[in-house]
Amino acid sequence: MKQSSRQTGANRGGLWIVLVAAAALEAISCIMYFTSRNAIRHEAEQRARTELRKAELEIDVHAIEMETAAKALALLAERHIDQPDSIFSATRLAVSTLTANTSMAVAFIPDYFPQRGKYFEACSSRFSEDSIYTRQIGSKDHDYTQMEWWQNGFVHDSCWWCEPYLDDSGSQTIVVSCSYPVRDRQGKVVAVVCIDMSLGELKNLSDYLQVYPNSYYSIRSSSGVEIVPVPDTVAGKKYNIFQEEVDATGWHMEIIIPEEELFRDLNHIGRIVGILMIIGLAMLILIVWYAGRSNKRLIESTARNRSIENELNIARKIQMAMLPTRFPPFPDYPNLSAYGEVIPAKEVGGDLFDFYIRENKLFFCIADVSGKGVPASLVMAMTRSLFHSFTSYLDSPAQIVTQMNNALSGEGNDENMFVTLFLGVLDLASGDLKYCNAGHNAPVPLTVIPNLPLGVMAGYEFQEQEAKLEIGETLFLYTDGLNEAENERHEQFGEQRMLEQLAISRERSTQQIIEDMRQAVKTFVGEAEQSDDLTMFAIRLLRPSHTSEDHFSLVMRNDIQQIPTLAEWIEMIGMPEELNMPINLALEEAVSNVMLYAYPGKSGQVLVECVKSDRLVFTITDSGIPFDPTQQADPDVTQSAEERPIGGLGIFLVRQIMDDIRYERKDNKNILTLTKQL
Amino acid sequence: MKVNLVNEGEQLVAQLSGRLDTAAAVEIAPDFQTLAEQASKHIILDCSQLEYISSSGLRLFLSLRKESAAKGGKLQVRAINADIRQVFMMTGFISLFDII
Repeated sequence: MKQSSRQTGANRGGLWIVLVAAAALEAISCIMYFTSRNAIRHEAEQRARTELRKAELEIDVHAIEMETAAKALALLAERHIDQPDSIFSATRLAVSTLTANTSMAVAFIPDYFPQRGKYFEACSSRFSEDSIYTRQIGSKDHDYTQMEWWQNGFVHDSCWWCEPYLDDSGSQTIVVSCSYPVRDRQGKVVAVVCIDMSLGELKNLSDYLQVYPNSYYSIRSSSGVEIVPVPDTVAGKKYNIFQEEVDATGWHMEIIIPEEELFRDLNHIGRIVGILMIIGLAMLILIVWYAGRSNKRLIESTARNRSIENELNIARKIQMAMLPTRFPPFPDYPNLSAYGEVIPAKEVGGDLFDFYIRENKLFFCIADVSGKGVPASLVMAMTRSLFHSFTSYLDSPAQIVTQMNNALSGEGNDENMFVTLFLGVLDLASGDLKYCNAGHNAPVPLTVIPNLPLGVMAGYEFQEQEAKLEIGETLFLYTDGLNEAENERHEQFGEQRMLEQLAISRERSTQQIIEDMRQAVKTFVGEAEQSDDLTMFAIRLLRPSHTSEDHFSLVMRNDIQQIPTLAEWIEMIGMPEELNMPINLALEEAVSNVMLYAYPGKSGQVLVECVKSDRLVFTITDSGIPFDPTQQADPDVTQSAEERPIGGLGIFLVRQIMDDIRYERKDNKNILTLTKQL
Repeated sequence: MKVNLVNEGEQLVAQLSGRLDTAAAVEIAPDFQTLAEQASKHIILDCSQLEYISSSGLRLFLSLRKESAAKGGKLQVRAINADIRQVFMMTGFISLFDII
């Protein structure tokens, strides 16, 4: 449950990142787009205005030129108003002053020159650079007086511009004309000068007005005649239109820029930015998704690690449960002091120590399995099991270790794991120690033969060694986790420090020795992490329970004369001064009892034995007739001298002195056991 | 184990020295027989040199005690050491004898 909500949370977080990023990008793009649009529009307007003014100027220049030409021709005509031929020359001259292909004419009121007919219009036209054609074009068919330019030129006292019109007579182009009156000497208007100009002459205009490749322009006259028409394609589209009036002619100019043309580049950039934005967002989504997925993987692997860690903890607990934990381990053997512990490293390891007693012998071992983790702990469990198996019937350490090695070197050991092991068998009565060391650190104070570790080579012959553990002497076993414990500077604790610490703690109990050592290592190591299991195990004999010195025996014949030797023998056992006499007395009574009654009429032997530990156990054995002295009734010690029987005091005294008295008949022998606690 | 019989005026003093064990009891039985014959007298068993006594020795003491009582004599035990006093205590002899 926890995992999935966490995962959804991660996805939701990712979604938010994508949405916010998309919104931010969109907002930035919109602002940039509209800002750019306004800037472009503004720039286009500026440019259109500039171009329109240039066009206006161009038209004005031509207009002024034409007006000037018209006025000049009118002036010439007024000078030669009476000479019709000079009028021709005047028009020719006027045309020649102009570079443009124009046509200039002077049209007189009807019948002004009667000899020349009713209509007289002198006209010169330039068709090419070199050729000016002059003629009289007035006639009945070409009645100029009916024409707009003539009528308006006649009545206006200034230049009058007519509406543009298609010149069907000559150039077949749109033509504009300008009229100006001609007066006689009396000031009366007698003729009208007309100057035509093809709009082809205004071809420079397109240079100005065609501001964009796909933009349009139009020019209309003041009355609405289209000089340059708006093309049909303009209809139904969105445009930006800029306008300008031409002062001289009253013309109206427009520059028409289609929206798509104006913002073509912007839209192009916009499309690129849009695509980049989508790619960016896609990448962001991908990153967020991937991050979410790896986050999920992390959560999963964390959970998996936790589960493994949990299982390792269980393994660790099981492993620790295999180690001895009860100290002192054998209440029945108070003379044996032993204490051991494993200080586990973080990881499951393969340290082991174990021991048990069989037939008054302590079988013990300490071992370190190579490597760490579960494999090492499994081998450790196996080693412990083998230790118990082989020590249950074998007494020789070398034989036990050899068998263990063969078992560990078998087919099961594919991992080539090996075990260093020290195994000892300590006779608790004598302190005699037999041991076999399989590549382990030598316990203090022993010296060891460097045998191979277990699991290296099957069939290896292990060498056995012997030593004697004196009373009060401590045998200290350890694994390399002790001497190789490292501090933060990677210095090792080392054997020297270990031996020094052991010397300091020498007089302390086995448990205190190990606690002191643990503290010394902890102080040395400081903050550094413990990398290996640290196992320590100490064994000491406090006071031998059944040593040979305390096992005494005395063989006597059934002769009362031998009784004094009993006193010497008891002296030899050595016991507290105050017990000497009572023990002597009790034994004498018991032994003399046997001497006197066990072998009636013949000779026999009495065996007296003593086992001394925390108590004195005497056994008196004879092969005589069955006789149980414990059945004898006690005398009444309160009786008067007269009443008291002479005998019967012996067994009474034994019972008084000893803590316990037992009789048994076994193998045709009488065995009397007397026990006195010390 | 030795027994010295000494007459001190009216009193017959038996000086016991050594260990009065089972073997010694057999050894000195004749000396106690002598004492028993004179049981009507005032007999003092001087134990200042007696180191040890077992039940056989006690038997000798008790027999003499009975003989002395029967003959109207007087028996005193003198200067017993701690060990012997302990045995006397255990056996109730401490109340049977006049210990001086």
